[in-house]
Amino acid sequence: MSNLEIACNDVQQTIFLFIDHELPSEEQYPIFEFHFQQCPPCHELLEHERAALILMQNLLRGTCNESAPQELHDRIQETINSLADSSFTHATSVEFFSQTTITEFTFDGTTSFSVTQEFTQEIRHEFPNE
Amino acid sequence: MAVALCPMDEQISGELAVVDPTTETLAQKKARFERDAFEFTNQLYAAALRYTKNPHDAQDLVQDTYAKAFTSFHQFTPGTNLKAWLYRILTTTFINSYRKEQRRPQIAAGELEDWQIHDAASHTSDQGRSAEDEVLDNLTDGDVKTALAALPEEFRMAVYLADVEGFSYKEIAEIVGVPAGTVMSRLHRGRKLLREALADYAKERGFNKSGAKGGDDE
Repeated sequence: MSNLEIACNDVQQTIFLFIDHELPSEEQYPIFEFHFQQCPPCHELLEHERAALILMQNLLRGTCNESAPQELHDRIQETINSLADSSFTHATSVEFFSQTTITEFTFDGTTSFSVTQEFTQEIRHEFPNE
Repeated sequence: MAVALCPMDEQISGELAVVDPTTETLAQKKARFERDAFEFTNQLYAAALRYTKNPHDAQDLVQDTYAKAFTSFHQFTPGTNLKAWLYRILTTTFINSYRKEQRRPQIAAGELEDWQIHDAASHTSDQGRSAEDEVLDNLTDGDVKTALAALPEEFRMAVYLADVEGFSYKEIAEIVGVPAGTVMSRLHRGRKLLREALADYAKERGFNKSGAKGGDDE
């Protein structure tokens, strides 16, 4: 059991990490949980802090939920359309190819190979169907 | 003489059966972007309002964000967190472009490190959650927005990204571009300041009947 011991002070200082599920390692959760079972003041603190956080999160989420005006949706659509259009008129996609040439030649009865590799790219224009 | 001609991306096209950004046409990319990214417009706008504090700049910021996201959409890996990716562009764009006009005091580095001096111990008295609930429930949307807007920018971002959007510390670290430890301190400090501010608003409004606390630490 001794490996499950943790001081109240340590629990209180990092209780918000426990609540956020952001403790540095998974092994610490059973240690905290065991402490909360054994220690009513820390358990009460946990309940209080968790409730206060949920309350604040609910207040924030209930408030910070503005919808974007239709004007913004329209502006974004126009922006994307014009970006796409300008791409259509230019090169649109590039395919890369490698070409390996192996040349076999014989000189004085000895067969040798010469290997050359070329990298080429091909620009393909696309024609949108919309 | 033998000649082999083959597309170099052949080996990856097989494993990305659903979407392969390297082979999709621009029309397909545009359709995929609209389908997947447009659903976040409202959320990004609400976040942009917190960042810029005004609807005009917020709209411009979100529009810029979508333009940048579309032009770099090929860098986004399908199947990973698109929302976090868009928030990262939003946040980076804000920090690089929009913040310049909005002069504000920088937070001293040392000030961020005292998250360990936790105030929680002062809340152990049994004043009860219900009393605190009751007090804070009387706050108006305006109070909450004003209190959040009054937080220093770094704290405001951390609180918003964690407590409204539900991002993890690691995700916030990537979105904002700071270490996770810094996110932790900013979030902790920001929540504390916000809680105090909300309690103060409630007090000013005369809703503090039950004496629920939030501001005083001792």
